[in-house]
Amino acid sequence: MHIAEGFLPPLHAVAWGAASAPFVLHGVRALTREVKANPESTLLLGAAGAFTFVLSALKIPSVTGSCSHPTGTGLGAILFRPPVMAVLGTITLLFQALLLAHGGLTTLGANVFSMAVAGPWAGYAVYRLLRGTRAPLMVAVFFGAFFADLVTYCVTSVQLALAFPDQATGFTGSLVKFGEIFALTQIPLAVSEGLLTVLVVRLLMQSSKSDLIRLGVAKLTSGKANQEATVR
Amino acid sequence: MLPIDAAAHSSRWRRRHPLEKAVLGVGLTVTAVCLPPWPGGPIVAAATLALLLGPAGVAGRQLWRAFRIPLGFCFTGALPLLFSVGGPAGFVAMAPDGPRHAAELLLRTSAASLGVLLFAFTTPVSDVLPRLVRAGVPAPVVDVALVMYRIGFLLLDSLARVRQAQAARLGNTGRAAAWRSVAGLAATSFVRAFDRAARLQSGLAGRGYDGTLRVLVPETALSRRFLAGTAALLASLVAVTLVLKELYL
Repeated sequence: MHIAEGFLPPLHAVAWGAASAPFVLHGVRALTREVKANPESTLLLGAAGAFTFVLSALKIPSVTGSCSHPTGTGLGAILFRPPVMAVLGTITLLFQALLLAHGGLTTLGANVFSMAVAGPWAGYAVYRLLRGTRAPLMVAVFFGAFFADLVTYCVTSVQLALAFPDQATGFTGSLVKFGEIFALTQIPLAVSEGLLTVLVVRLLMQSSKSDLIRLGVAKLTSGKANQEATVR
Repeated sequence: MLPIDAAAHSSRWRRRHPLEKAVLGVGLTVTAVCLPPWPGGPIVAAATLALLLGPAGVAGRQLWRAFRIPLGFCFTGALPLLFSVGGPAGFVAMAPDGPRHAAELLLRTSAASLGVLLFAFTTPVSDVLPRLVRAGVPAPVVDVALVMYRIGFLLLDSLARVRQAQAARLGNTGRAAAWRSVAGLAATSFVRAFDRAARLQSGLAGRGYDGTLRVLVPETALSRRFLAGTAALLASLVAVTLVLKELYL
Protein backbone atom coordinates (compact mmCIF):
# COMPACT_ATOMS: atom_id res chain seq x y z
CA MET A 1 0.00 0.00 0.00
CA HIS A 2 3.01 2.28 0.21
CA ILE A 3 3.18 4.24 -3.03
CA ALA A 4 6.69 3.54 -4.32
CA GLU A 5 9.37 6.16 -4.96
CA GLY A 6 8.83 8.10 -8.17
CA PHE A 7 5.38 6.61 -8.75
CA LEU A 8 3.52 9.93 -8.62
CA PRO A 9 4.03 12.80 -11.09
CA PRO A 10 5.80 15.83 -9.51
CA LEU A 11 2.66 17.99 -9.19
CA HIS A 12 0.73 15.23 -7.43
CA ALA A 13 3.64 14.56 -5.07
CA VAL A 14 3.77 18.26 -4.11
CA ALA A 15 -0.03 18.53 -3.78
CA TRP A 16 -0.30 15.52 -1.43
CA GLY A 17 2.61 16.88 0.58
CA ALA A 18 0.72 20.17 0.95
CA ALA A 19 -2.48 18.32 1.90
CA SER A 20 -0.68 16.37 4.65
CA ALA A 21 1.28 19.32 6.02
CA PRO A 22 -1.49 20.92 8.18
CA PHE A 23 -2.26 17.60 9.89
CA VAL A 24 1.41 16.86 10.54
CA LEU A 25 2.00 20.42 11.82
CA HIS A 26 -1.02 20.10 14.11
CA GLY A 27 0.44 16.84 15.40
CA VAL A 28 3.88 18.42 15.85
CA ARG A 29 2.34 21.22 17.93
CA ALA A 30 0.40 18.70 20.07
CA LEU A 31 3.53 16.58 20.54
CA THR A 32 5.75 19.60 21.37
CA ARG A 33 3.19 20.85 23.93
CA GLU A 34 3.02 17.40 25.51
CA VAL A 35 6.83 17.05 25.70
CA LYS A 36 7.24 20.55 27.16
CA ALA A 37 4.60 19.84 29.82
CA ASN A 38 5.95 16.35 30.63
CA PRO A 39 9.59 15.91 29.47
CA GLU A 40 9.49 12.19 30.34
CA SER A 41 6.81 11.63 27.66
CA THR A 42 9.57 11.87 24.99
CA LEU A 43 10.56 8.33 25.87
CA LEU A 44 6.98 7.05 25.95
CA LEU A 45 6.21 8.66 22.60
CA GLY A 46 9.44 7.19 21.21
CA ALA A 47 8.35 3.78 22.48
CA ALA A 48 4.93 4.28 20.87
CA GLY A 49 6.60 5.19 17.57
CA ALA A 50 8.98 2.24 17.75
CA PHE A 51 5.99 -0.03 18.35
CA THR A 52 4.28 1.41 15.24
CA PHE A 53 7.47 0.83 13.21
CA VAL A 54 7.81 -2.73 14.47
CA LEU A 55 4.15 -3.55 13.68
CA SER A 56 5.01 -3.31 9.99
CA ALA A 57 7.56 -6.12 10.50
CA LEU A 58 4.84 -8.54 11.61
CA LYS A 59 3.43 -10.95 9.06
CA ILE A 60 -0.30 -11.59 9.43
CA PRO A 61 -2.04 -14.58 7.85
CA SER A 62 -4.67 -13.22 5.45
CA VAL A 63 -8.15 -14.67 5.10
CA THR A 64 -7.34 -15.51 1.47
CA GLY A 65 -4.36 -17.61 2.54
CA SER A 66 -1.64 -15.15 1.61
CA CYS A 67 0.43 -13.18 4.06
CA SER A 68 0.84 -9.45 4.60
CA HIS A 69 1.83 -6.96 7.29
CA PRO A 70 -0.51 -4.82 9.39
CA THR A 71 -0.60 -1.06 8.88
CA GLY A 72 -0.96 -0.46 12.62
CA THR A 73 -2.82 2.78 11.86
CA GLY A 74 -6.01 1.71 13.69
CA LEU A 75 -4.24 0.38 16.77
CA GLY A 76 -1.95 3.42 16.85
CA ALA A 77 -4.86 5.87 16.58
CA ILE A 78 -6.85 4.08 19.30
CA LEU A 79 -3.86 3.98 21.66
CA PHE A 80 -2.16 7.31 20.96
CA ARG A 81 -4.84 9.51 19.21
CA PRO A 82 -4.71 10.70 15.56
CA PRO A 83 -2.73 13.98 15.98
CA VAL A 84 0.19 12.14 17.61
CA MET A 85 -0.18 9.32 15.07
CA ALA A 86 0.27 11.87 12.24
CA VAL A 87 3.77 12.66 13.57
CA LEU A 88 4.70 9.11 14.58
CA GLY A 89 3.34 7.82 11.25
CA THR A 90 5.38 10.39 9.32
CA ILE A 91 8.59 9.42 11.13
CA THR A 92 7.76 5.72 10.63
CA LEU A 93 7.21 6.25 6.90
CA LEU A 94 10.48 8.16 6.66
CA PHE A 95 12.31 5.31 8.41
CA GLN A 96 10.61 2.76 6.14
CA ALA A 97 11.69 4.72 3.04
CA LEU A 98 15.32 5.03 4.20
CA LEU A 99 15.86 1.76 6.07
CA LEU A 100 13.62 -0.69 4.20
CA ALA A 101 13.18 0.94 0.75
CA HIS A 102 9.39 0.84 1.29
CA GLY A 103 7.59 3.93 0.01
CA GLY A 104 9.74 6.91 -0.90
CA LEU A 105 10.71 10.50 -0.27
CA THR A 106 8.84 12.11 -3.18
CA THR A 107 5.76 10.03 -2.32
CA LEU A 108 6.09 10.67 1.43
CA GLY A 109 3.32 13.30 1.39
CA ALA A 110 0.85 10.96 -0.34
CA ASN A 111 1.74 8.04 1.94
CA VAL A 112 1.47 10.27 5.03
CA PHE A 113 -1.97 11.43 3.91
CA SER A 114 -3.32 7.90 3.44
CA MET A 115 -1.53 6.06 6.28
CA ALA A 116 -0.84 8.67 8.94
CA VAL A 117 -3.80 11.03 8.46
CA ALA A 118 -6.87 9.56 6.71
CA GLY A 119 -6.59 6.01 8.08
CA PRO A 120 -6.01 6.95 11.74
CA TRP A 121 -8.70 9.67 11.74
CA ALA A 122 -11.28 7.38 10.11
CA GLY A 123 -10.46 4.46 12.41
CA TYR A 124 -10.50 6.66 15.50
CA ALA A 125 -13.82 8.25 14.47
CA VAL A 126 -15.45 4.81 14.09
CA TYR A 127 -13.93 3.67 17.40
CA ARG A 128 -15.21 6.76 19.27
CA LEU A 129 -18.61 6.50 17.62
CA LEU A 130 -19.03 2.89 18.70
CA ARG A 131 -17.71 3.57 22.19
CA GLY A 132 -20.20 6.44 22.38
CA THR A 133 -23.03 4.00 21.68
CA ARG A 134 -21.75 1.78 24.53
CA ALA A 135 -20.58 -0.93 22.14
CA PRO A 136 -18.19 -3.45 23.75
CA LEU A 137 -14.54 -2.39 23.64
CA MET A 138 -13.51 -5.27 21.39
CA VAL A 139 -16.25 -4.52 18.83
CA ALA A 140 -15.15 -0.88 18.72
CA VAL A 141 -11.48 -1.95 18.40
CA PHE A 142 -12.27 -4.36 15.55
CA PHE A 143 -14.24 -1.83 13.52
CA GLY A 144 -11.75 0.96 14.32
CA ALA A 145 -8.86 -1.11 12.95
CA PHE A 146 -10.94 -2.44 10.03
CA PHE A 147 -12.01 1.02 8.86
CA ALA A 148 -8.56 2.56 9.43
CA ASP A 149 -7.15 -0.09 7.12
CA LEU A 150 -9.93 0.17 4.55
CA VAL A 151 -9.90 3.98 4.39
CA THR A 152 -6.11 3.89 3.95
CA TYR A 153 -6.59 1.68 0.87
CA CYS A 154 -9.49 3.78 -0.46
CA VAL A 155 -7.42 6.96 -0.21
CA THR A 156 -4.49 5.22 -1.91
CA SER A 157 -6.89 4.18 -4.72
CA VAL A 158 -8.01 7.79 -5.13
CA GLN A 159 -4.39 8.98 -5.18
CA LEU A 160 -3.47 6.45 -7.88
CA ALA A 161 -6.64 7.11 -9.89
CA LEU A 162 -5.93 10.85 -9.88
CA ALA A 163 -2.34 10.22 -11.01
CA PHE A 164 -3.20 7.63 -13.65
CA PRO A 165 -6.68 8.32 -15.09
CA ASP A 166 -8.03 5.60 -17.39
CA GLN A 167 -7.50 6.39 -21.08
CA ALA A 168 -11.13 5.64 -21.95
CA THR A 169 -13.11 6.50 -18.84
CA GLY A 170 -10.86 8.94 -16.98
CA PHE A 171 -10.73 9.24 -13.21
CA THR A 172 -13.90 7.17 -12.55
CA GLY A 173 -12.74 4.21 -14.60
CA SER A 174 -9.34 4.32 -12.98
CA LEU A 175 -10.87 4.52 -9.50
CA VAL A 176 -13.00 1.46 -10.29
CA LYS A 177 -9.89 -0.33 -11.58
CA PHE A 178 -7.68 0.40 -8.56
CA GLY A 179 -10.64 -0.02 -6.17
CA GLU A 180 -11.40 -3.50 -7.56
CA ILE A 181 -7.78 -4.59 -7.26
CA PHE A 182 -7.56 -3.28 -3.69
CA ALA A 183 -11.00 -4.69 -2.77
CA LEU A 184 -9.93 -8.20 -3.81
CA THR A 185 -6.74 -8.12 -1.81
CA GLN A 186 -7.28 -5.58 0.93
CA ILE A 187 -10.77 -6.29 2.33
CA PRO A 188 -9.55 -9.68 3.61
CA LEU A 189 -6.44 -7.94 4.96
CA ALA A 190 -8.55 -5.30 6.69
CA VAL A 191 -10.57 -8.12 8.34
CA SER A 192 -7.30 -9.79 9.34
CA GLU A 193 -5.95 -6.57 10.81
CA GLY A 194 -9.20 -6.01 12.74
CA LEU A 195 -8.98 -9.52 14.21
CA LEU A 196 -5.28 -9.12 15.03
CA THR A 197 -5.91 -5.78 16.74
CA VAL A 198 -8.65 -7.34 18.89
CA LEU A 199 -6.28 -10.16 19.89
CA VAL A 200 -3.51 -7.66 20.71
CA VAL A 201 -5.81 -5.44 22.82
CA ARG A 202 -7.13 -8.53 24.64
CA LEU A 203 -3.58 -9.59 25.49
CA LEU A 204 -2.71 -6.05 26.57
CA MET A 205 -5.77 -5.98 28.85
CA GLN A 206 -4.24 -8.96 30.63
CA SER A 207 -0.59 -7.88 30.69
CA SER A 208 -0.54 -4.04 30.58
CA LYS A 209 -3.92 -2.83 31.76
CA SER A 210 -2.32 0.07 33.65
CA ASP A 211 -0.82 1.35 30.39
CA LEU A 212 -4.20 1.06 28.64
CA ILE A 213 -5.88 2.96 31.50
CA ARG A 214 -3.22 5.69 31.27
CA LEU A 215 -3.82 5.90 27.50
CA GLY A 216 -7.59 6.15 28.08
CA VAL A 217 -8.45 2.91 26.24
CA ALA A 218 -9.52 0.90 29.31
CA LYS A 219 -11.32 2.13 32.40
CA LEU A 220 -10.70 1.26 36.02
CA THR A 221 -13.02 -1.54 37.07
CA SER A 222 -15.13 -0.78 40.15
CA GLY A 223 -13.06 -3.17 42.29
CA LYS A 224 -9.81 -1.47 41.32
CA ALA A 225 -11.38 1.98 41.68
CA ASN A 226 -12.44 1.12 45.22
CA GLN A 227 -8.95 -0.19 45.93
CA GLU A 228 -7.39 3.05 44.65
CA ALA A 229 -9.85 5.14 46.67
CA THR A 230 -8.92 3.14 49.76
CA VAL A 231 -5.21 3.70 49.09
CA ARG A 232 -5.80 7.44 48.73
CA MET B 1 20.45 -3.22 12.63
CA LEU B 2 18.77 -3.29 9.24
CA PRO B 3 21.02 -4.16 6.24
CA ILE B 4 20.82 -0.74 4.51
CA ASP B 5 21.71 1.14 7.70
CA ALA B 6 24.48 -1.33 8.55
CA ALA B 7 25.97 -0.77 5.08
CA ALA B 8 25.66 3.01 5.55
CA HIS B 9 27.68 2.86 8.77
CA SER B 10 30.63 1.31 6.96
CA SER B 11 30.17 3.29 3.75
CA ARG B 12 33.13 4.91 1.99
CA TRP B 13 31.20 8.19 2.11
CA ARG B 14 30.27 7.91 5.79
CA ARG B 15 32.43 10.89 6.80
CA ARG B 16 30.94 13.16 4.15
CA HIS B 17 28.42 15.75 5.35
CA PRO B 18 24.85 14.33 5.14
CA LEU B 19 23.69 17.46 3.31
CA GLU B 20 26.10 16.74 0.45
CA LYS B 21 24.73 13.21 0.08
CA ALA B 22 21.14 14.44 0.45
CA VAL B 23 21.64 16.99 -2.34
CA LEU B 24 23.10 14.28 -4.58
CA GLY B 25 20.68 11.42 -3.77
CA VAL B 26 17.48 13.45 -3.52
CA GLY B 27 18.63 15.59 -6.45
CA LEU B 28 18.95 12.48 -8.63
CA THR B 29 15.51 11.27 -7.46
CA VAL B 30 13.84 14.60 -8.21
CA THR B 31 15.61 14.73 -11.60
CA ALA B 32 14.31 11.24 -12.42
CA VAL B 33 10.77 12.22 -11.44
CA CYS B 34 10.77 15.53 -13.32
CA LEU B 35 12.50 14.53 -16.57
CA PRO B 36 10.68 12.69 -19.37
CA PRO B 37 10.94 8.96 -18.47
CA TRP B 38 12.41 8.20 -21.89
CA PRO B 39 15.31 8.81 -22.21
CA GLY B 40 15.60 10.48 -18.78
CA GLY B 41 14.95 7.35 -16.68
CA PRO B 42 17.73 5.16 -18.10
CA ILE B 43 20.23 8.06 -18.18
CA VAL B 44 19.62 9.02 -14.53
CA ALA B 45 19.54 5.34 -13.48
CA ALA B 46 22.87 4.67 -15.24
CA ALA B 47 24.52 7.70 -13.60
CA THR B 48 23.18 6.73 -10.14
CA LEU B 49 24.28 3.11 -10.56
CA ALA B 50 27.76 4.27 -11.61
CA LEU B 51 27.98 6.43 -8.47
CA LEU B 52 26.64 3.68 -6.20
CA LEU B 53 28.95 0.94 -7.45
CA GLY B 54 31.92 3.25 -8.14
CA PRO B 55 32.80 6.16 -5.82
CA ALA B 56 30.25 5.25 -3.09
CA GLY B 57 31.56 1.67 -3.00
CA VAL B 58 28.23 -0.08 -2.39
CA ALA B 59 28.45 -3.85 -2.94
CA GLY B 60 26.42 -4.95 -5.97
CA ARG B 61 24.78 -7.82 -4.12
CA GLN B 62 23.66 -5.62 -1.22
CA LEU B 63 22.31 -3.07 -3.66
CA TRP B 64 20.33 -5.69 -5.59
CA ARG B 65 18.83 -7.07 -2.34
CA ALA B 66 17.60 -3.61 -1.41
CA PHE B 67 16.60 -2.57 -4.94
CA ARG B 68 14.50 -5.64 -5.73
CA ILE B 69 11.93 -4.57 -3.10
CA PRO B 70 10.92 -1.27 -4.75
CA LEU B 71 11.38 -2.91 -8.16
CA GLY B 72 8.76 -5.53 -7.23
CA PHE B 73 6.36 -2.79 -6.11
CA CYS B 74 7.00 -0.92 -9.38
CA PHE B 75 6.18 -4.00 -11.47
CA THR B 76 2.95 -4.81 -9.63
CA GLY B 77 2.02 -1.12 -9.58
CA ALA B 78 2.53 -0.77 -13.33
CA LEU B 79 0.33 -3.79 -14.23
CA PRO B 80 -3.04 -1.98 -13.82
CA LEU B 81 -1.95 0.58 -16.41
CA LEU B 82 -2.03 -2.16 -19.06
CA PHE B 83 -5.83 -2.44 -18.75
CA SER B 84 -8.75 -0.13 -19.33
CA VAL B 85 -12.05 -0.50 -17.46
CA GLY B 86 -15.55 0.37 -18.69
CA GLY B 87 -14.59 1.76 -22.10
CA PRO B 88 -16.18 1.06 -25.52
CA ALA B 89 -13.97 -2.04 -25.97
CA GLY B 90 -15.66 -3.86 -23.08
CA PHE B 91 -15.66 -3.88 -19.29
CA VAL B 92 -11.99 -4.89 -19.15
CA ALA B 93 -9.79 -4.44 -22.22
CA MET B 94 -6.14 -3.83 -23.01
CA ALA B 95 -5.43 -0.08 -22.85
CA PRO B 96 -4.15 1.18 -26.24
CA ASP B 97 -1.21 3.11 -24.73
CA GLY B 98 -1.01 0.88 -21.65
CA PRO B 99 2.35 -0.81 -22.34
CA ARG B 100 3.99 2.55 -23.08
CA HIS B 101 2.63 4.14 -19.88
CA ALA B 102 3.62 1.10 -17.81
CA ALA B 103 7.15 1.10 -19.29
CA GLU B 104 7.53 4.85 -18.64
CA LEU B 105 6.39 4.39 -15.06
CA LEU B 106 8.86 1.55 -14.55
CA LEU B 107 11.73 3.64 -15.92
CA ARG B 108 10.83 6.61 -13.72
CA THR B 109 10.28 4.68 -10.48
CA SER B 110 13.39 2.52 -10.82
CA ALA B 111 15.62 5.55 -11.51
CA ALA B 112 14.04 7.49 -8.63
CA SER B 113 14.40 4.54 -6.21
CA LEU B 114 18.12 4.28 -6.99
CA GLY B 115 18.56 7.96 -6.01
CA VAL B 116 17.05 7.35 -2.57
CA LEU B 117 19.14 4.19 -2.18
CA LEU B 118 22.29 6.23 -2.91
CA PHE B 119 21.45 8.46 0.04
CA ALA B 120 20.33 5.57 2.29
CA PHE B 121 23.38 3.39 1.56
CA THR B 122 25.85 6.19 2.37
CA THR B 123 24.17 8.01 5.27
CA PRO B 124 23.15 6.31 8.53
CA VAL B 125 19.89 7.65 9.93
CA SER B 126 21.72 8.40 13.19
CA ASP B 127 23.84 10.98 11.30
CA VAL B 128 20.77 12.70 9.85
CA LEU B 129 18.41 12.94 12.84
CA PRO B 130 20.42 15.21 15.19
CA ARG B 131 21.10 17.62 12.31
CA LEU B 132 17.38 18.04 11.60
CA VAL B 133 17.13 20.50 14.53
CA ARG B 134 19.38 22.89 12.59
CA ALA B 135 17.08 22.43 9.59
CA GLY B 136 14.15 23.76 11.66
CA VAL B 137 12.48 20.56 12.87
CA PRO B 138 11.35 21.09 16.51
CA ALA B 139 13.76 19.45 18.98
CA PRO B 140 11.03 17.36 20.73
CA VAL B 141 10.10 15.73 17.40
CA VAL B 142 13.76 14.93 16.69
CA ASP B 143 14.15 13.50 20.21
CA VAL B 144 11.11 11.25 19.71
CA ALA B 145 12.53 10.11 16.35
CA LEU B 146 15.90 9.35 18.00
CA VAL B 147 14.22 7.23 20.68
CA MET B 148 12.13 5.48 18.00
CA TYR B 149 15.26 4.70 16.01
CA ARG B 150 17.12 3.28 19.00
CA ILE B 151 14.25 1.30 20.53
CA GLY B 152 13.09 0.14 17.09
CA PHE B 153 16.21 -1.95 16.43
CA LEU B 154 16.11 -3.53 19.89
CA LEU B 155 12.45 -4.39 19.40
CA LEU B 156 13.09 -5.93 15.98
CA ASP B 157 15.84 -7.99 17.52
CA SER B 158 13.67 -9.26 20.38
CA LEU B 159 10.81 -9.85 17.92
CA ALA B 160 13.05 -12.16 15.87
CA ARG B 161 13.96 -14.11 19.03
CA VAL B 162 10.34 -14.41 20.20
CA ARG B 163 9.38 -15.59 16.70
CA GLN B 164 12.11 -18.26 16.85
CA ALA B 165 10.90 -19.39 20.27
CA GLN B 166 7.29 -19.55 19.03
CA ALA B 167 8.33 -21.60 16.00
CA ALA B 168 10.31 -23.98 18.25
CA ARG B 169 7.15 -24.49 20.32
CA LEU B 170 5.09 -25.29 17.21
CA GLY B 171 3.49 -21.84 17.30
CA ASN B 172 3.03 -21.70 13.54
CA THR B 173 1.72 -25.19 12.81
CA GLY B 174 -1.95 -24.29 12.33
CA ARG B 175 -3.95 -21.22 11.41
CA ALA B 176 -5.23 -20.67 14.97
CA ALA B 177 -1.74 -21.11 16.40
CA ALA B 178 -0.33 -18.65 13.83
CA TRP B 179 -2.92 -16.03 14.82
CA ARG B 180 -2.16 -16.54 18.51
CA SER B 181 1.57 -16.22 17.83
CA VAL B 182 1.26 -12.99 15.81
CA ALA B 183 -1.01 -11.41 18.43
CA GLY B 184 1.46 -12.50 21.12
CA LEU B 185 4.32 -10.97 19.14
CA ALA B 186 2.55 -7.61 18.79
CA ALA B 187 1.53 -7.52 22.46
CA THR B 188 5.05 -8.51 23.57
CA SER B 189 6.61 -5.76 21.48
CA PHE B 190 4.18 -3.21 23.00
CA VAL B 191 5.03 -4.31 26.55
CA ARG B 192 8.78 -4.41 25.84
CA ALA B 193 8.75 -0.99 24.13
CA PHE B 194 7.14 0.68 27.14
CA ASP B 195 9.24 -1.31 29.60
CA ARG B 196 12.42 -0.23 27.81
CA ALA B 197 11.24 3.38 27.72
CA ALA B 198 10.54 3.30 31.47
CA ARG B 199 14.02 1.89 32.18
CA LEU B 200 15.62 4.44 29.85
CA GLN B 201 13.69 7.14 31.69
CA SER B 202 14.93 6.07 35.13
CA GLY B 203 18.49 5.70 33.79
CA LEU B 204 18.41 9.19 32.28
CA ALA B 205 16.77 10.66 35.41
CA GLY B 206 19.78 9.45 37.40
CA ARG B 207 22.02 11.42 35.05
CA GLY B 208 20.11 14.71 35.33
CA TYR B 209 17.73 14.33 32.35
CA ASP B 210 16.15 17.71 31.58
CA GLY B 211 14.02 16.71 28.63
CA THR B 212 16.59 16.99 25.85
CA LEU B 213 18.60 14.10 24.49
CA ARG B 214 22.05 15.39 23.70
CA VAL B 215 24.09 13.28 21.29
CA LEU B 216 27.54 13.83 19.84
CA VAL B 217 27.43 14.81 16.19
CA PRO B 218 30.77 14.37 14.39
CA GLU B 219 31.84 17.69 12.92
CA THR B 220 32.17 17.51 9.15
CA ALA B 221 32.63 20.41 6.80
CA LEU B 222 30.56 20.85 3.67
CA SER B 223 32.66 20.24 0.57
CA ARG B 224 32.04 22.94 -2.02
CA ARG B 225 33.79 20.76 -4.59
CA PHE B 226 31.35 17.91 -3.97
CA LEU B 227 28.36 20.25 -4.15
CA ALA B 228 29.64 21.85 -7.36
CA GLY B 229 30.21 18.39 -8.85
CA THR B 230 26.67 17.39 -7.88
CA ALA B 231 25.21 20.52 -9.50
CA ALA B 232 27.26 19.89 -12.66
CA LEU B 233 26.15 16.23 -12.79
CA LEU B 234 22.46 17.10 -12.35
CA ALA B 235 22.67 19.89 -14.93
CA SER B 236 24.40 17.63 -17.46
CA LEU B 237 21.79 14.86 -16.92
CA VAL B 238 19.01 17.35 -17.62
CA ALA B 239 20.82 18.75 -20.66
CA VAL B 240 21.66 15.33 -22.17
CA THR B 241 18.10 14.09 -21.68
CA LEU B 242 16.53 17.17 -23.26
CA VAL B 243 18.99 17.21 -26.17
CA LEU B 244 18.48 13.50 -26.90
CA LYS B 245 14.73 13.96 -26.71
CA GLU B 246 14.87 16.89 -29.12
CA LEU B 247 17.20 15.14 -31.56
CA TYR B 248 15.75 11.65 -31.74
CA LEU B 249 12.22 11.63 -30.35
